[in-house]
Amino acid sequence: MSLYNVLFTSLPVIAMGVFDQDVSARFCLKYPMLYQEGPQNLLFRWSRLLGWMLHGVGSAVIIFFLTIASLKHQAFRKDGEVIDLSILGATAYTCVVWAVNMQMAITVNYFTLIQHICIWSGIFLWYLFLIIYGAITPSFSTTFFMVFSEALGGAPAYWVVTLLVAVAALIPYFTLAVVKTWFFPDYHNKIQWLQHAAKHADPEEELGVVLRQFSVRSTGVGVSARRDAKLVRTNSKVIHADSSSQSQATVELT
Amino acid sequence: AASPAPRSARAPSLPESTAEAAGAGRAARGVYRGPERRGGGGVAAAWGMMMDGSAAGTSNGGSGADGDAARRNNTRMPKYSKFTQQELPACKPILTPKWVVSVFFLVGVVFVPVGVVSLLAAQDVVEIIDRYDHACVPPNMTDNKLAYIKNDTISKECTRILTVTKEMKQPIYVYYQLDNFYQNHRRYVKSRNDAQLRDYKKSNTTTSCDPERFTADGKPIVPCGLIAWSLFNDTYSFTRGKENLTVNKKDISWKSDREHKFAKNVYPSNFQNGALIGGKKLNSSIPLSEQEDLIVWMRTAALPTFRKLYGRIYVDLKANDTITVRLSNNYNTYSFGGKKKLVLSTATWLGGKNDFLGFAYLIVGGLCIFLAFAFTLLYLIKPRKLGDHNYLSWNRHPAGR
Repeated sequence: MSLYNVLFTSLPVIAMGVFDQDVSARFCLKYPMLYQEGPQNLLFRWSRLLGWMLHGVGSAVIIFFLTIASLKHQAFRKDGEVIDLSILGATAYTCVVWAVNMQMAITVNYFTLIQHICIWSGIFLWYLFLIIYGAITPSFSTTFFMVFSEALGGAPAYWVVTLLVAVAALIPYFTLAVVKTWFFPDYHNKIQWLQHAAKHADPEEELGVVLRQFSVRSTGVGVSARRDAKLVRTNSKVIHADSSSQSQATVELT
Repeated sequence: AASPAPRSARAPSLPESTAEAAGAGRAARGVYRGPERRGGGGVAAAWGMMMDGSAAGTSNGGSGADGDAARRNNTRMPKYSKFTQQELPACKPILTPKWVVSVFFLVGVVFVPVGVVSLLAAQDVVEIIDRYDHACVPPNMTDNKLAYIKNDTISKECTRILTVTKEMKQPIYVYYQLDNFYQNHRRYVKSRNDAQLRDYKKSNTTTSCDPERFTADGKPIVPCGLIAWSLFNDTYSFTRGKENLTVNKKDISWKSDREHKFAKNVYPSNFQNGALIGGKKLNSSIPLSEQEDLIVWMRTAALPTFRKLYGRIYVDLKANDTITVRLSNNYNTYSFGGKKKLVLSTATWLGGKNDFLGFAYLIVGGLCIFLAFAFTLLYLIKPRKLGDHNYLSWNRHPAGR
């Protein structure tokens, strides 16, 4: 089962980490305000990390309980066979592989050929593994022996349960992602909308110009902001000193 | 912005199209140029190269044209390729209202019929469940069921009457259902030796079978382990009026188990010889591959409430038929508060009776359709211009934090 982390779900994650671009390089250079996502700590806040962890736990709970409730103690095939530990395990494992890979498909912003290969081959490899590992003699494959070829592959209940559980595990995330990008978008989400709109019309021109002007406004965070604030303070001190000395001078004069 | 002519003369080994297009674009729009850097991979380096003479930015500034030319010849910039510059052709999916609503709607439209079909299949299944472990205890021993079950002199025969509610077409599956029996307990699941069951040459290997490894005088038990030791031993026979309903007990186990995991030449030996008897005794002259009850039992169940196939009845049962069951109530579930039930059930393409799958599909499908409508309404009623910069989180407080 440790193969899980290594093989079946690591490749899409690595591919996403290496190849994903939320905003293309060209737009990155055009909108330097994107840089503010760093100092404002928008992407690695604890609340975001905990949100993802909670999502993982929630998906696991959904997958576990839905699988168990769908395949309880009754028969799962036309010939009256009931489930056992290995069959339930293989079904749950299949649901997890599907859910994780589809999660990747939803999360990735930049779908290259490599992402496609990683995601779809991840799923395909899982079934291939089930078939091949199940064909190895039971002295090696123990409980997995023939679990797919004999028990699960021909059971419509297996496929029906997989579809239900994988989709049900993803609906919460999908809904939240839609709500977030529609109503509470981050800066890079807006740029993505711009990129998308730019393909159809060319509102990029004016909106982009406005956005760019906006993006060179001052902010209250960062090195340059602190330097500017310091300058303002020193200048105001100078002005005060100046004006006080001037007023003294005028007083003296008069 | 620098003039295009010197730039294109200096731009080296870059694809013409990107240099020209970018150069032309920038010249036309007076683009704010980001910080230019030397070295490092990525697009910025390429841009740095393209803008070498016209550097208005940071680190390049001040160096003249000659210095740039020399630096360019010595550069260790990696060869340009779409892969290393991360400019692979890609589609950039985005959650447009059209896509979102259609995805939700599609899921809903697929799931609701599947749910209806599953529910219909589950409703088609006819099931008779009869709990008999309490009812079969003789009335004078209901307070001390444990003593009843352990006492060998008391007869464990019991008769139950079942009524068929709806017509049941053959094959009718006979199961015994146990509740609160944790066959998925970790130490229980491990308590077996598959090598011994598979290979008669390894009959003496009993590792991991504790505590059922050897008899009191040190002889190895075949099959060893707690799973085999606790083999279920109630028996059932059925009659309908005067007619005997034979229970076909062949092929109740998985074919792969019969052929590959339980050998044809391994026979039970020294089995259930100890002081504490956990379940059924096995006939030593029948090889393990034909001991189908044992094979079925050894496939450990996943949940604490489980059924195991006892046999099949190849007779149609009509509504209002009365089935008389003569069973022997041997198995001790009283010491751990378990339940025993006898189940007669038909099966459809989806299996036995489980309404949950149908309901779950209907609920998820309904939820998706509801979300589709909700998002459509939200998009129509509150058409926030997606990409509206006034709603940037930190630009709501333009003075900064």
